Amino acid sequence: MSIQIEEKGRKTGRVGDLPHEVWTSVFRNPWPSNDLERSSTSFTNFFLHIHPVKVHKHTLKPSYTLGLGLISFFLFLILVVTGVLLMFYYVPSTTQAYDRMLDLRGTVAFGIFLRNMHRWSAHGMVAMVFLHMCRVFLTGSYKKPRQFNWVLGVLLLLVTLFMSFTGYLLPWDQLAFWAITVGTSIAAYAPVIGKDIQFLLLGDSTVGQEALLRFYVLHVAVLPAVLGLLAAIHFWRIRKDGGLSRPEEEDALPAGNSGRGPGARARGAGRGGTAGLRTPGFCTRSI
Amino acid sequence: MESRRTALTWLSSVGLFGSAVLSAVSNLVFIKPRATYGQPSRFAIGKPDDFPPGTRISLDVKRVCIVREGNKMAAISTTCTHLGCIVGTSDTGFACPCHGSRFDQDGNVTGGPAPKPLPWFKLSLAPNGELEVDKGQAVDAGSYLNV
Repeated sequence: MSIQIEEKGRKTGRVGDLPHEVWTSVFRNPWPSNDLERSSTSFTNFFLHIHPVKVHKHTLKPSYTLGLGLISFFLFLILVVTGVLLMFYYVPSTTQAYDRMLDLRGTVAFGIFLRNMHRWSAHGMVAMVFLHMCRVFLTGSYKKPRQFNWVLGVLLLLVTLFMSFTGYLLPWDQLAFWAITVGTSIAAYAPVIGKDIQFLLLGDSTVGQEALLRFYVLHVAVLPAVLGLLAAIHFWRIRKDGGLSRPEEEDALPAGNSGRGPGARARGAGRGGTAGLRTPGFCTRSI
Repeated sequence: MESRRTALTWLSSVGLFGSAVLSAVSNLVFIKPRATYGQPSRFAIGKPDDFPPGTRISLDVKRVCIVREGNKMAAISTTCTHLGCIVGTSDTGFACPCHGSRFDQDGNVTGGPAPKPLPWFKLSLAPNGELEVDKGQAVDAGSYLNV
């Protein structure tokens, strides 16, 4: 009660209170010193609330997932940031693209660093997404109730590969030109619609200005938007499917089963969140 | 009440689905170019005298090889039928640098992964005396233009 009265007293509004009001409106929680405050900070913060306030202790075991999904996501973030910076100097024109790429390496401040970060992160992302998929398969984490997230993951792999493919043309050197000539010719082998796919991708019969522009727009706008949306749903599904995939709890298994068989692992991976919440294995995640 | 709800559900479903289909189709139509800005399919390559008898001259940018034997002339494609690289001329005909396809002097496959022979294009003499290649029109291998 006394707190409410105090609040009412402050409503008279003193200009001197303004900085304090702004400060507390932005920093809504005190520096957390106990579990409740830590939970509250995590729960009310946009960037932290992607994580659950509490996770199963087995989730904290890094050897199970190897963090491959998050590594892929962070590589994507690096690619977005470096990619936007590269866009300030790159021109998707057949007469300028190659020279702009050389300028990025030679004259732009930090240009070679940004370009190499973009390049290596791109290679890394393809590798990490692939390894992530292998891990999900080998731990049986694609099984019920995570089937939908597996489908999303397959789409994310395809979009990642398409991002890699479209980005490959942009330096406009011999390697890029012939790689896209060969790549789109492979697409043309698809039955019935192959030739149309090739024509729509290139915007012409051969790789040229139209193809460069189309690949650029796909690479910097269309595909990142699709990938971002799919990744958001992918992360949302992890929470809905009961948190990160984790090994089966050994003590929860019936006697005689060591819990090491593939079936036992799959059951553990597929356990729903609400059932898991009641198990004693949960602990507060430190922030 | 119930029938009104059903009717409204149907109406909005049809509306939403219709707009989705409409936008998908119109996007597909939009993305297919009506004009292209690259190499035109029909182009002039010069007078017959620029190609002396017995020569085989590859025009890499146009992706066509102009062959002249005596007074017979022909235009053979230099785009590999495997995956679209430009084939180079070799002693025995054509050879692709990408995956090693080989063709004889008439463009027939003699080795490598190429699934089809190199097509021949229609070659004609324009009224101004210039040779004109039409890559939109393939002709039978062995059909020459007499100049």
